[in-house]
Amino acid sequence: MEAAVSVSSLRRTYERRRKDTVVALDDLTLTIARNEIHGLLGPNGAGKTTLVRILSTVLLPTSGTARVLGHDVVAETTAVRSLVGLVLGGDRGLYDRLSARRNLLFWGALYKLDARTVRRRADTLLERVGLAERADEPVERFSRGMRQRLHLARGLLHEPRVLFLDEPTSGLDPVAAVAFRRLVLELRDEGRTFLLATHDMDEATALCDRVTLIDRGRRLLTDDTANIGRLLGDRECVDFAHDDPALTHALNHALTDALAALPEVVDVERLDDRWRAHTADREGSRRVLAWLVERDVLTARHAQPTLEEVYLRTVGDRGMRV
Amino acid sequence: MTSYLRVVWQAFLLQAALARRGPQNMLMLLVTPMQTAGLLSLTLHAHRPDAVANAVIAPGLVGLWVAALDYAGRVVPEDQWAGRFTPMVAAPVPLTLVVAGRVAAVVLVGAVAFAESWLVAAAGFGRVVTVDEPGVFVLAVAATCLASVGTAMLLSGVIALSRARDVLQNSLSYPFYILGGVVFPIAVLPLWVRPLSRLVFLSWSAQLLRDAAHGTARHWPLSLAVILALGAAALAGGMWLTRRIVDVARRKGTVGYA
Repeated sequence: MEAAVSVSSLRRTYERRRKDTVVALDDLTLTIARNEIHGLLGPNGAGKTTLVRILSTVLLPTSGTARVLGHDVVAETTAVRSLVGLVLGGDRGLYDRLSARRNLLFWGALYKLDARTVRRRADTLLERVGLAERADEPVERFSRGMRQRLHLARGLLHEPRVLFLDEPTSGLDPVAAVAFRRLVLELRDEGRTFLLATHDMDEATALCDRVTLIDRGRRLLTDDTANIGRLLGDRECVDFAHDDPALTHALNHALTDALAALPEVVDVERLDDRWRAHTADREGSRRVLAWLVERDVLTARHAQPTLEEVYLRTVGDRGMRV
Repeated sequence: MTSYLRVVWQAFLLQAALARRGPQNMLMLLVTPMQTAGLLSLTLHAHRPDAVANAVIAPGLVGLWVAALDYAGRVVPEDQWAGRFTPMVAAPVPLTLVVAGRVAAVVLVGAVAFAESWLVAAAGFGRVVTVDEPGVFVLAVAATCLASVGTAMLLSGVIALSRARDVLQNSLSYPFYILGGVVFPIAVLPLWVRPLSRLVFLSWSAQLLRDAAHGTARHWPLSLAVILALGAAALAGGMWLTRRIVDVARRKGTVGYA
């Protein structure tokens, strides 16, 4: 079966003043299977939004090819536009003085839907995103979360098979973000494919089947989200802390030094709220857990590096620089 | 209704709804009575009853031009500024249809200025302007509105591409009132200016409206044809420019920026 999205050697540059060139995407190759939720992670300026814009046909690539459901985004623009939905994060992008329903009626017409179909779908979608009771209020009275849900409703009006979400939950409160993610998972169950550009590691972990890390326009890695920890050298870990969180950092060096001296342990590191012992294999983790319990460290668990840790180690610590 | 016509209609309804929600979109209709009062006062003070019709027609044409220049000119830049341009470009229908529907609504609001100036003359000054050739007059108003839509499309594109939008908008009003013979006939302009005037649809519209009011519209079919042809040429130019705005933005990567 043809991939939902296939990108090959994609490059996009921007000309700046004084004739210098900024490379936003550099030889990017990527495939997203149908019905997959694919996370696109990277720091500011990594090229995430550039890729989303090229795939949604609002930006032309400098070279390379990108296809959505088999259609070339440059040569078959109209076909691609009918198949994809674009959901941008943020407060902007809607007619604030008009109601949610009036907005959807307008945007639906841009996808060649007749008025009756748009009205029916708008009612269904407004209900689904929890805005039915506020459907006739001006959007300017909406909270950021409500606007975001309206953005999603707009992106779904024409029932696209592939959705591009660019920072869809930025600025949402945790409850709204969880509801938003639940909705995305429901939509995936209906057979849709998602490309999710985000900074939110929890969101990517909760939603994505696979993730791609990009930086400075280049793909650093692509892997299953569940197994992403393997990318840090296939290491096993045991996380542990003192039962009293206040004393976690006070775990004495004798203990950690003793732990580090065990043959099963590769190294021991201190994290924000706990310690982590890296082990060579699963058997080593088992022994370390037993060793800790014998010494009254009862808050301990077998773990793998999280997506955030993989991200930080792969992209590197660059502070506020972009 | 075809899907493309539906887009134009929905864009028209959208602009009408925006005008209802945003009183600033109808500000020109507050100015029209004052312009009418000013022009009529001058005319009556000069004891020129023959020019009363001119003083009533002029504010209507000014209202149309303000609608085309100020309000229609903002359609694309405002969508760019408000972040609506990106999802609009990502949709499968041409942006020109959206702009066409919206400027048509703007021009229709501007056309209300004709009725306003008539009412001000009648209610405020006791001067009921009669039209000797009402059929020609109605046709002339309709053709003028259509030409205004075409011209508004062109202006919308020009203003969206300009780096000095406000300056451009401010500087394109008064020269066109003169070249368009809106307030006085172009016959009083210097000879060398007149050929330029004939390229401005307003000059044909103003003359035809005045002639219809006075019953002297002898060559009205030709005038109507020229008004429509100039409007159609502007519409074609506006559609080309709007397509170009999208193409350039996609190429330069400025779709998401104001």
